[in-house]
Amino acid sequence: MVPEALFYTKEHEWVKIENNTITIGITDYAQQMLGEITFVEPPEIGKEVQPHGELGIVESSKSASDIYSPMAGKVTELNSKLEATPELINQDCYEAGWICKLSITDESTEGLMNATQYQDYLKEL
Amino acid sequence: METKSSGKFLFEPPDTAPVGSVLYTEHLKLIDQSRLAPFAGFLMPLWYSSISEEHSAVRNAAGLFDCTHMGVLEVAGPQAAEFLNTITTNDINKLNPGSAQYSYILDPAGNVLDDIIVYARQEDKFMVVVNAANEPKIKAYLDALQSENKPPIRDMRDTNTTSDCKVDIALQGPASIDILSTLTKDSEIENLKPFKLIETTIDNIDCIISRTGYTGAKLGFELFVHPQQAPLLWSKLLQNGKPLGLLPCGLGARDSLRIEAGLPLYGHELAGEFNISPFEAGYSWAVKLEKPFFIGKAVMQQTAATYDMKVTRIELPGQKGIRPIRQNDGILNNSGQCIGWVLSSAKAGEKQFALAYIMKDTVKENDPVGLYYLARNQSQIDKGKKQSVQKQQTLQPDITGTIISRFEKF
Repeated sequence: MVPEALFYTKEHEWVKIENNTITIGITDYAQQMLGEITFVEPPEIGKEVQPHGELGIVESSKSASDIYSPMAGKVTELNSKLEATPELINQDCYEAGWICKLSITDESTEGLMNATQYQDYLKEL
Repeated sequence: METKSSGKFLFEPPDTAPVGSVLYTEHLKLIDQSRLAPFAGFLMPLWYSSISEEHSAVRNAAGLFDCTHMGVLEVAGPQAAEFLNTITTNDINKLNPGSAQYSYILDPAGNVLDDIIVYARQEDKFMVVVNAANEPKIKAYLDALQSENKPPIRDMRDTNTTSDCKVDIALQGPASIDILSTLTKDSEIENLKPFKLIETTIDNIDCIISRTGYTGAKLGFELFVHPQQAPLLWSKLLQNGKPLGLLPCGLGARDSLRIEAGLPLYGHELAGEFNISPFEAGYSWAVKLEKPFFIGKAVMQQTAATYDMKVTRIELPGQKGIRPIRQNDGILNNSGQCIGWVLSSAKAGEKQFALAYIMKDTVKENDPVGLYYLARNQSQIDKGKKQSVQKQQTLQPDITGTIISRFEKF
């Protein structure tokens, strides 16, 4: 499951770009690989990151996976539901299971994959 | 540097691409190829439905495990018992036909090469089940042993030798007897006591049924069948077990079940980076120091008298929003002093269980202990979280748990 309108990283984050704000989550492939997600450590509000900067951790009982920022920006909003219901990422990784929002100044998607490219990338794994 | 005379057996496993188990095509009927992960040279299922569903199926109904990757060796002939008594720590003389025995193979330097179960089929015919990851090493070690009285040792998974070939499928949990009853009317199975085995048939499939397992289930069986009949037995059990709550279980649940029950995994609670001995692991009963001789005995005598660390089982909170504990996280006593480290951990329901390696006389059952999470990423390191902790270091606990009994049966 790879929605058309999103962009993707090689580390299996997805990003939705809307008017200087991006929403970030992990892909269906990533949530399947992690298994039952039991804990999410969100980034701090106001944290500024460069592309590939750390944006917290998603953990299942088997492994911990860093979340990397697909773009440069500043954290403005967290999905507070994940604290009590981290399994939202397993259930609905592209909607209810979003992780955080960042404000951005540069909308360039350089270095990111579109849905078709990401699907091709998954086939090679 | 290790020298030859130190008695340490050094072995580099062959680096070969993983292959499907004999149940590979059965797994692909249930899950996508991507759910199979390389493990000990085989592509094995991690989970089918989910680790937690499979875990509770074994506790409340039953679970079916592909254990066909486990090594199965036959040691047979008039010298077999004496040979096994020399290379294993437990007492083969106490093992009668129809019984199984947990034991260890040590090298001359006393290092644990593997923990094993020896199944006595006849006075002079034994089946030895070894860990999948250790199988090449154990074979090489047995090959390297020089003895005039060495009995023939045969890989029972190798179908090129004779027709008496066996691989392991495990059926574990309270409903397992009801599931077996749908396929066989052998009343002996119902009366089979723990660590006993019989040779029988299940729906015309020749089978060794053993009341053993690696899940902590009070009721559970290992079924040893010919590799070519394993897919048939697997699918019959799945089909008949489904209405009784049976789920196929992957490596994930296999690990969480054995951790919850306190059972050791080679490389974690045995041997591994701390070179953990059977005494520290809680299995002194399986090392018979009163035997006149076994390989590694001299070192075991020393270890028995001097060991000061032990494996312990700890219960910790595990509800949603609690960070999962990980290997090498620190265990702290009441005053925040680090007394050891997590070896393995698993979530079961709203709890987490850790098997930890701690200083022997610092805490006892029911005592509270703290847990210190090691840094999980660079951001946490930047905030001062440590990447490793040492004994006797004073630390602030992140969560609190309780020391519980070393083992538990379900």
